Amino acid sequence: MSAPLTVTSLTAGYDQADVLHDVNLRAQAGQITCLLGANGSGKTTLIRTILNLTAPRAGRITLAQDDITGKPTHEIVAAGIACIPEGRKVFAKSTVEENLRLGAYAEEDKSAVIARMQRVFDIFPRLNERRTQLAGTMSGGEQAMVSIGRGLMAAPKVLLIDEPSLGLSPLFVQENFKVIQRINEQGVTVFLVEQNVRQTLKIAHYGYVLAQGRVVAEGNAAQLRRDEQVQAAYFG
Amino acid sequence: MDSASILQHLVNGAMLGMMYALVAVGFTLFFGVLDVIKFSHGDVLMLGAFTALSAALGLSAAGIEQPLLQLALMLVAGIALTGLVGALVGRYLVLPLKSAPALNTLLITLMFGTALREAVRVFYPQGSNPKPFPRLLPDDALQLGALSLRADSLLLLALGALVIIATHWLIGRTKLGLAIRAVAQDEETAKIMGINYTKIVLITFALGSALAALAGIINGLYYNEINFSMGLNLGVIGFAAAIVGGLGNFYGAIIGGFLFAALQTIGAVAIPFGSSYKDVFAFAVVIALMAWKPTGLIAEQEAQRV
Repeated sequence: MSAPLTVTSLTAGYDQADVLHDVNLRAQAGQITCLLGANGSGKTTLIRTILNLTAPRAGRITLAQDDITGKPTHEIVAAGIACIPEGRKVFAKSTVEENLRLGAYAEEDKSAVIARMQRVFDIFPRLNERRTQLAGTMSGGEQAMVSIGRGLMAAPKVLLIDEPSLGLSPLFVQENFKVIQRINEQGVTVFLVEQNVRQTLKIAHYGYVLAQGRVVAEGNAAQLRRDEQVQAAYFG
Repeated sequence: MDSASILQHLVNGAMLGMMYALVAVGFTLFFGVLDVIKFSHGDVLMLGAFTALSAALGLSAAGIEQPLLQLALMLVAGIALTGLVGALVGRYLVLPLKSAPALNTLLITLMFGTALREAVRVFYPQGSNPKPFPRLLPDDALQLGALSLRADSLLLLALGALVIIATHWLIGRTKLGLAIRAVAQDEETAKIMGINYTKIVLITFALGSALAALAGIINGLYYNEINFSMGLNLGVIGFAAAIVGGLGNFYGAIIGGFLFAALQTIGAVAIPFGSSYKDVFAFAVVIALMAWKPTGLIAEQEAQRV
């Protein structure tokens, strides 16, 4: 099941300073929508604001028909938005299996949780081998699997992915992007935040470019590849 | 020393260790989820004991004298009210100060504990005098060869051990425990998992306070006397036990509690006129332990935090 995520005229920030200014974008149902931007352009703040970890100052965020603006984070998650956070953020002192179960925390049906865990193990057989290992003792690549698997455990309508390539070897990055594509093919709306332009545009259907907290360009992957703003932002 | 008095010391030490462990687990839980020290913990324990006592007096006045029924209702009343007070402290005193320096939380809970203690002293009928606590458990002696043990001691020990094991199971094996451990490790990521952060923090405060209430009631049943300042000593010892064990660590709190009781018992037995100096001895050893292992016997980095 998928649903579109729409962000309308969103302004947000920390303390006195606004980081996001009047941001409008839409992650189409069932597609991969990417958000490109350099360091400090406000990408992570946007993710945080969608989850209400940072409170929006103005604007609206809707999941399909539901207005989720300003709701507590756990209600936003329960409405169908999951997140694979920047830097993976696995629960280091919990086992792989516990991490995965936390991903499905909002799900009351135990058999559904078991079925989802099986699907995660199908994608990452390694996690099955390591299910009783503490996540903190695993390699960066394995932790990335835990983090992605944990996001899938929620069986979300929309999956927010924040910089999955950060700190991973190129081979792992490629693998992860393939997995993201597979997830999307199962009908999950993906909103992918990345700095890695080439890889991202290979799998994204549509994209936005964020610079200094404003959307400065948007278009499908082919358009963005040619776009001057993108060129300016990344290839100087 | 004959074997009967050794046994007596052992039972006494185990009983104290269990009470300390119950208090220390509370400190460790609060610190785990919120990185705070809640200094009203000892006085909350006292509140639990006085609530249970009031319940007992009320039941007797109402003509309900059946000891086990009375005991069950006392436990329910003491634990429920104290758990509620713990959650309210979390909600209205601790969570609002979350972005303030930790010292502020320490101070506000210290003041709340003092207010609670003084309120019982002033408003409870003749609150400044020690209160007799009903003797509700069978106290016949069980003969084991030459040794005899009181049945009520064994029952209280079993009750405490059962509750500690149940708490351990709750933290380690249930969905609630999973959420508590997730919040303890990383508040924001726990929220992203769909965990209701505030709810988990308040449940943890209720749980820790309920354990303190149980320690207070066990204390009353064992010594058959409680007083308004009983929480001071138990609070400080529980806090010391949690620190020595490694604050934030469940096993550490248990070990710390029993270690402190063992030190007191050794102090009382081994030092001439020791029973007056047992606390001095136990605290001196704790101070030495802290100088030797500043982060506690089980360092939090190496071990599972609750």
